[in-house]
Amino acid sequence: METQSLLVKQQNSKTIVKSPSLWKQTYLRLKKNKMAMVSLFFLMFMFLLSFIGPYFSPYILDRTDVANMNQPPSASHWLGTDNYGRDILTRLMMAGQISLTIGIAAMFLSILIGSLLGAISGFYRGIVDLVIMRLADILMSIPGLPLLLMMGAILSEWKVPAEYRLYLIMIMLSFVGWPGLARLVRGQILSLKEQPFMQATEVLGLSDRRKIFHHLIPNTVPILLVVATLNVAGSILSESALSYLGLGVVPPTPSWGNMMDAANNFMDFRKRPWLWIPPGTAIFLTVVSINLLGDGLRDALDPKLRR
Amino acid sequence: MKKSFKSFISIIFLAMILSACALDSSSSKQSAVPEKKVNTPAKDRGVKVFKAANLSALPEKAKSRKDLFIAGISAPGGVFLPYFYENGWDGNATDPIFAPLVNLDKEGKPVGILADKWNISSDQLTYTFHLRNGVTFSDGSPVTADDVAFTLTLLHDPAYEGYQDISLAAIQGGKEYKEGKAKTIEGIKVKNKQTIEITTTEVNAKALLLLGGQVLSKAYYGKDYEYGKLDYLKDLYSKPLGAGPYKFIKYVPGQEIRYEANEHYYAGKPKTKNLIFKVIDTSTSLQLFETGELDYASFSADDDTVGQLQSLGFANVRVGPVNDFGLIYVNNSRPQFKDKKVRQALIYGLDRQKIVDVKFKSYGEVANIPVSKVSWAYNDKGINKYEFNAGKAKELLDQAGWKAGKDGIREKDGKPFVIHYLTRTAEDPIIPIAKENYEDIGIKFEPEIMDFNALVAKLNKKDYDFASVSTSQILDPSDPVEEFATGNPNNAAGYSNPKVDELIKKGLNTLDIEKRKEIYHELYKELNEDPPVILVHYRQSARAISGQIKGLIPDNYTGIGASLPNISIKK
Amino acid sequence: MKQYVLQRFLQMIVILFGTSFIIFFLFAILPGDFIDSNISLTPQRAQELKSLYGLDQPILHRYLNWLGNALHGDFGYSLKHQEKVLSLLNKYVWNSFFVAIFALILTWSIALLTGVLSAIKQYSWFDGAVTFLVFAAMSFPSFFISLLFIKWFGVDLQILPIGGMIETGSENTGVSYLLEVGKHMILPVTILTLLSVGSLTRYFRTGMLEVIRLDYIRTARAKGLKERVVIFKHALKNAILPAITLLAFELPGLFSGAIIMEQIFNWPGVGRIQLESVSFRDYPVLMAFTMFLSCLTIIGNFLADVTYAAVDPRIRLR
Repeated sequence: METQSLLVKQQNSKTIVKSPSLWKQTYLRLKKNKMAMVSLFFLMFMFLLSFIGPYFSPYILDRTDVANMNQPPSASHWLGTDNYGRDILTRLMMAGQISLTIGIAAMFLSILIGSLLGAISGFYRGIVDLVIMRLADILMSIPGLPLLLMMGAILSEWKVPAEYRLYLIMIMLSFVGWPGLARLVRGQILSLKEQPFMQATEVLGLSDRRKIFHHLIPNTVPILLVVATLNVAGSILSESALSYLGLGVVPPTPSWGNMMDAANNFMDFRKRPWLWIPPGTAIFLTVVSINLLGDGLRDALDPKLRR
Repeated sequence: MKKSFKSFISIIFLAMILSACALDSSSSKQSAVPEKKVNTPAKDRGVKVFKAANLSALPEKAKSRKDLFIAGISAPGGVFLPYFYENGWDGNATDPIFAPLVNLDKEGKPVGILADKWNISSDQLTYTFHLRNGVTFSDGSPVTADDVAFTLTLLHDPAYEGYQDISLAAIQGGKEYKEGKAKTIEGIKVKNKQTIEITTTEVNAKALLLLGGQVLSKAYYGKDYEYGKLDYLKDLYSKPLGAGPYKFIKYVPGQEIRYEANEHYYAGKPKTKNLIFKVIDTSTSLQLFETGELDYASFSADDDTVGQLQSLGFANVRVGPVNDFGLIYVNNSRPQFKDKKVRQALIYGLDRQKIVDVKFKSYGEVANIPVSKVSWAYNDKGINKYEFNAGKAKELLDQAGWKAGKDGIREKDGKPFVIHYLTRTAEDPIIPIAKENYEDIGIKFEPEIMDFNALVAKLNKKDYDFASVSTSQILDPSDPVEEFATGNPNNAAGYSNPKVDELIKKGLNTLDIEKRKEIYHELYKELNEDPPVILVHYRQSARAISGQIKGLIPDNYTGIGASLPNISIKK
Repeated sequence: MKQYVLQRFLQMIVILFGTSFIIFFLFAILPGDFIDSNISLTPQRAQELKSLYGLDQPILHRYLNWLGNALHGDFGYSLKHQEKVLSLLNKYVWNSFFVAIFALILTWSIALLTGVLSAIKQYSWFDGAVTFLVFAAMSFPSFFISLLFIKWFGVDLQILPIGGMIETGSENTGVSYLLEVGKHMILPVTILTLLSVGSLTRYFRTGMLEVIRLDYIRTARAKGLKERVVIFKHALKNAILPAITLLAFELPGLFSGAIIMEQIFNWPGVGRIQLESVSFRDYPVLMAFTMFLSCLTIIGNFLADVTYAAVDPRIRLR
C-alpha cells in the first residue's frame, strides 16, 4: 500500500517533514495548476479592490443624490447608480469588505468547530461520542428562525452596537451550526479508522493528538473543502437575510447580499439589471475562485497524487 | 369595515414574512423610480383613471370567463365568521357573505345596508335601527332584530376571545352581563321584528359602526349558545351563513375561496354568478393580472407599476390616494424630545420630500396632518408645511440648548444627541436619508431593524427614540389621533398636551360631522404646532381592473365590497 | 446490533423531551406574544385575552400543561387559524411533501450522474460547465431564479402556470386532477432541484475523485476490466458512502416545506404556515410542527448511523 508506506516513511523521518518544506512543496505543486493560480490572484485582487479601491472613488459612500437616481452605467458612474443615486461601484467595493470578511471568517470558524468535534467524536467513540452526537441531535432539531429572532431580541436588549452584531451572530451561528459537518466528518473518521494505515499508527504508538491531526483530519480535507466553498457562498447570501431580522449589516452600510436584495422586485429585476448584476457577479466569481483554488489545493495536498 | 386594523397587521406581517426570507416585494417596498424624469406632481385628492386602450389585448384566459369574477387575496386563514377570525384576510373573505346594518360609503360617511334607517336620540345615547322590509339570510330565513340582539350579546360573552372590543360602545348593562351579574343586556331592546333600540352610556362618534356591524343569524349560530361557552362555534367557522350578496361554496386551503350569487340578497341577485378570491402573493400578482388569471388587483402606486399596467392595454387603471399615512413615532417621554423646539427641529431637519420621492416617486406626498387626504376631516388651512430647512433646524436646536460638541455631535448637559431608530425593513428609505440629514445638523442617527412583534413590544414599553410605522386604514378621523391623549393606554409617543386632550374628547363627543370637522381642524393646527410625532407620507394605490369588467368601482372604505353586487362581464 | 438500536432508541426519547423543553422555552422568551401584535386592543382587553389564552401563566406551568396534552395526542388549537393543530398541518404538509419528494429524487439522480461524470472527466469542458452552472445557481438568491423562470415560462411563453396548485375554479378529479397538479408542480420542483443539486453534485464529485485515485481502482483497471464496470461497480459504491449521512439529513426537509418557493409560487405548503406561526407567535402550531420536525431529524440521524454501519462493514458499532 503506497499510502501506508508513505506515511510510515514520514513517521520514520519524523522531524524531517517540517511544515515550511511541506508548504513549499504544496506551493510548488499548486503553482503548476493554472486555474488555481488565476483564482488565487483573482481573490487577492478582490481583497485589494475592496479594501483599497474605495479610497480612489470620487464619491462619498453613503451620500444620497436624488438628482441621479437609477442611472444606467456611464462614464461618471461606471456601474450606474442605485435608487438613492449612490454610485454602485463604490458601494460594491465597500460591500466586498464586509462580504469577503464574513464569508471567509464564517467558513473557517465553522470548519474548525465542525471538523474538530466530528473527529473527536469519531475517534474516541464511547461516552464522548454519545454526548457530542446527542448534542448535535438537539441542535439540529431547533428551528432557525425563532432562534435568530431571539438572538436579535437579546442583542437589542443588551444594546450591543449594531456594527458588532453581525460578527457576534456569525460566531453564534458557527457554535450552533456545527452538527451537520461534524456528522459528516465523524462518518469519514469512522471508516478511516478501520483502514490499514491507522493500524500502522497504532503499531508506531503515536499519540492520539498526532493520529487525529496528522492522519485523520488531513484525509477528510476533500470533503472539508467542498463544505468550505459551499459555506462561503451560503454565508455571503445569508448575511443579507439576517439583516431583515436586525442581525446583519445595518443599512446604509452595503454588503453584496443586501445590494442584491435591494433589487428584488420584478420591476428592478426586469428594467434595471445594473442593480443586481454587479453584486451577483462578485459573489459568483468569488465563490468560483475559492472553489477552484480549493480543488487545486486538494490536488496539491493529496498524498495519493504525489508520484 | 371593522377589520381594517387586522388587515393592516396582516399586511405588515406579510411584508415581514416576505422580508424574513429576503424576499420583500410587498406593496410598501416597490420603491422603484422612473428613468424618465417627468416631474408629475402628485395627483390631488381625486382618483385618476387610465382607460383600457386595447381590449383585444385581453388574455384568452380572461376572455373565456363569462360568469366568473376573480380577485386576489393574500393569506386567508379559513375562519369565515366575522368577530371570530384572527386574520384580516379572513375579514375580506367574509365580507361578501355577511352584510352589516350600516357601512361606510366612498366618502367615509355611514350608509344603511340591512338597516333601512336609524335614529339617534337627542342626547346622542340611544340608537334605533330599522331593518329593511323582507331582508333574509342566504337560506331564505328572515333577518330580524333578534339576530342583531344575539350578535351584540355574543360579543359580550366572557368567553369571547376575538378582536372586537364591544365595551368601547358602552352599551348599558353590557359590563354586568359580561361579569355574570345580569341575565340579559339591559341596553338592548327588541321593539319588534324589524326594530331594535340600543342605549349607551357615553356619547361616542364611533359607536354607530360598532353597533351596526355584520349580523349573525340567531337560528344558525345561536341554537347551541350557552352563556360562557363559545367552542361550539368552531364547527361553524367553515360553514358561514349570512345576508351578504354572495354565499359561500368552498374553501380550497391556501388556494381559493369560491362563492355563488345569493338570490335572496335584498338588493337583488348580483349580476355575476360566480366569485372567486384567489390566494396570491404580492411578488407575482402583477404577472397573474398580466396573464389574465385575475380580473382585479391592487398595487402600491409607483411609476414602474402604473406604466406597466397601462402598457398592458386591456386594463382600466385607477390611481388614487390610500386611506392611511406613514409616520415616525418620537418618544416624548425621553428628556431630549420633551422640548417642542427639538421636535420641530427634527421635522425641519429631515428631507421628507426626498424620502417620499425615493419611495413613491411622483405618487406620494409629504404628510403634515394626521389623517389621510381621503378623509372628510382633512383640512390643511393654516398648517405649517415644515419644508426641509437645515438652517432653521440648527437654529431651533441651538435655542433648545443643544450646542455643537466634539466630533460635531450636539451636546446638552454633557450628553451627546443620539437618535436610535427602529424600523422593520432594511429597505426603508428613511435610513439613509435621515442618517445623512441628521448628521448634517449634528445629531447621530443609529438605525436598527427588527421584526414587527418586537418593535411593537418596544413601542409599548416606550423603550425607543424613533420608530417607523404606518397607520391602519382610517375609518374615523379619531382613530389615528386618540392615542395622543394624556394617559391613553396606547399613547406610545408619551405625548401630553391639555389642549389636544380636550379637542380629542370633543371630537368624539358629537355625532354631527360638520361640528367634528371644525374640531379636528383645530386639533390638527395644535398638533402641527406642537408635533407629537413626525408625519412622513401619504401614498397612492393603483387598482387594475380587467377591461371586460363593468360596474366595479373600488373605494377607500370597502375596497371592492360595495361594488360586488353590481359587477358584470361584457360578453 | 439489536442492543445498539435499543440503546439509541431510549436515548432518542430522552432527547425528544429535552428538545421539547428547550424549544418551548425559546418560544416563550421571544419578544411579544400573539395578543401583543394587535396594538389596537385596550390594555384591559389585552389582559382579558391573555388570561383566556393562558398566556399569563408561568412558563414551566404552560410547558407541563402543553406536555400533558401532547402526550395524549392533543396539540391544541391554532390561535390564528382557530382550528385543531393536527388537522391544520395535515391539510398543508402533504402538499409540501410531494414537491419535496420529487425534487429529492430528481436532485439525487442528476447530482449522481453529473457528479460522477465530472469526476471521471476532471478539468474537461463538461466538468467546467457543470462547475459554472452549479456556482451560478448558488450565487443568486432563490427568488431571483424563481422570478426569472416565472417570466420565461409563465408570462412570455405562457406554457406553465405562474402559481398555485390547481387552475382557478377547477372541479377536476381523478386523473385529470393529478395531471393538473402535476403541471403546476413543474416549476416549483425545478427550482427546488436547481437549488439543491449544486452542492450535492460537489459532494459526489469529491467522493468519486477520492475513490478513483485509490489503489484498488487502479488494480481493477490493471486487471483489464472495462472502464464502465470499474466506475459503476467498484468506485461508485464507495463514493456514495459518505452521502448516506446527507440522505438522512433530507428526511425532515421532506416535510418542512420550502418557504421562499411556496411564497412565490403560492404553493399551499406547510412552510407558509410555519412562518406565519412564528410571526404571529402562534405557539401551539409552532410547537407541534417543530416537534414533528425534531422527531424526524433525530430519526434521520439514527437511520444514518445504522445504515452507515450496515453498508460499511468495517465500522464496528460498539
